[in-house]
Amino acid sequence: MNPEVHMPGWEWYYVAMYFFIGGVSAGAYFIGTLAELFGGERHREISRTGFYIAFPLILLTPPLLIADLGRPERFWHLLFHAKSGFPYLNFQSPLSVGSWALLLFGAMAFLSFLDNLVSEGKLKSAPFAKAYSRIPRKWYAVVGSIAGFFVAGYTGVILNVTARPFWAATDPLAGALFIASGASTGAAAIYLVMARRKQLADPGLPGFDLFDRLSKLLELFLAVGMVVLAGRYAAPLMKGVTAVMFWGGAVLLGTLVPLAAGWYATRIAAGRMPAERLATAMAVLVLVGGALLRISLVHAGQVQ
Amino acid sequence: MPKGMFVDTSICTGCKACQVACKEWNALPHEPGHFRFDPVEKRPVAVNFTGDSYDNTGALSATDWRRVRFLEQFSEDRSRARWFFSSDSCKHCNDAGCLNACPTGAIVRTGLGNVFIQQDVCIGCKYCIPSCPYGVISLSIATGTVHKCTLCNDRIHNGLGTACAKACPTGSISFGEVAELRKAADKRLAQLKGLGYGEANIYGYKEAGGLNVFYLFLDRPQVYGQPEAVVVPQQRLPVSSAVTIAGALALGGAALVSFRERGSREKDEEVKK
Repeated sequence: MNPEVHMPGWEWYYVAMYFFIGGVSAGAYFIGTLAELFGGERHREISRTGFYIAFPLILLTPPLLIADLGRPERFWHLLFHAKSGFPYLNFQSPLSVGSWALLLFGAMAFLSFLDNLVSEGKLKSAPFAKAYSRIPRKWYAVVGSIAGFFVAGYTGVILNVTARPFWAATDPLAGALFIASGASTGAAAIYLVMARRKQLADPGLPGFDLFDRLSKLLELFLAVGMVVLAGRYAAPLMKGVTAVMFWGGAVLLGTLVPLAAGWYATRIAAGRMPAERLATAMAVLVLVGGALLRISLVHAGQVQ
Repeated sequence: MPKGMFVDTSICTGCKACQVACKEWNALPHEPGHFRFDPVEKRPVAVNFTGDSYDNTGALSATDWRRVRFLEQFSEDRSRARWFFSSDSCKHCNDAGCLNACPTGAIVRTGLGNVFIQQDVCIGCKYCIPSCPYGVISLSIATGTVHKCTLCNDRIHNGLGTACAKACPTGSISFGEVAELRKAADKRLAQLKGLGYGEANIYGYKEAGGLNVFYLFLDRPQVYGQPEAVVVPQQRLPVSSAVTIAGALALGGAALVSFRERGSREKDEEVKK
């Protein structure tokens, strides 16, 4: 590990926020797909909500990415080679593959979004419906959620595949951690939207709740595992604001408190307290924790 | 045939002619001044010193493509001292982390083996910056793109050597074909070993696929601020990707368990009814 390796100077309000919002969007989308694939009709409302969330959120991300560039007007060089004009893909660079995955994910999220609008009768017919309506919905949902897993996870791989001591020392766990966090924050977003649409009696919620808990356990395991793996290189996570964001925000508010609250509400206080309000508050905490996870890890790699 | 440089630090005098020649030829902006008039004290005060011997850059950067390191070392009781000089730059690695990481194809290797950033292609994504295991590249706020040593791309493609090697008054930096330079380096190493420099070593034969700009050090590379175990970041990409995919599969498994719990099919049918 060479301490002289330079810091990229990625701003948290662009890059970490992209990691977070992209993760929520991708998480909501792959939860939607998995619920539909494995869960059938019972989980229809959950997958529908996931597809409603994914597209608007992913639309927010390209401006964040482009704003962090030194030459924002050249962003298209990510997809097309500036000299030849041909599509460009560098398999050694997660940033290059990720740009294409983001494009593919955005396209699939758009199709699923349109499909939702049509099936709920909010849109008479989708534009270009003829072009894709013969492809079963599940197919592009599967392609989209593979791209979604990529979008949620490659941001962690980007950090790990560098020579900055902290990011290199946490290799290879950040990608899996970001996917788990994408799942838990995506689930929180789905829950909040369903609560707002007064769908909390939905028959799919028990299964959804279990998935949510498993993803938080995976996230907690990977977050702690990452620190153990990094050993003395985890020092930036142990002091100052970064420590508060990571341990207090990402670990405590993002996973431990919601897990404990879920357990308390079902085991100890079943039926005796306003479970919905508690669950809504916990979903907000999970989203805050997910954002702080990205901010703290992006920041920890950029301090001496 | 790849061209490169051999930096024999044993005969470097720390004169910084290479730094100056580099700035001149490549028209790089000067360093911030070292004295500033203090209106309160009413006299000039010293600013912008690194506090690290005669090192005036502190690091390689978008405007400092050469940096002479000054290594002052003393024994515990300060009865013995040594002062090493080492002129550092981009190493033009054969397995270059920056080039591998570039998502736009802006960073290329030319026919002479040097790693070159095409300024009209770079978008300033900054991913190459942490991907260089030596901390060579950095962003220029002025251009919004990244810069580093080009191995004097314009000179070497027109039959000249690099500006720094041309300016070096002691022959510490020599430019030429890498194969020829290696022969000279081996000869010099044998000579130094014979003179009793047991710790002398060549840095750059195997690091990062072989460095086109390589060094002769009188002590371990670590002493000169060079990492001894160099890992080009992309070497870790396969494992990192595999673990990430495993994470995705674990979540897929969790979804399978959660969304298809026992008896759900029957309940599904009830829901449909």
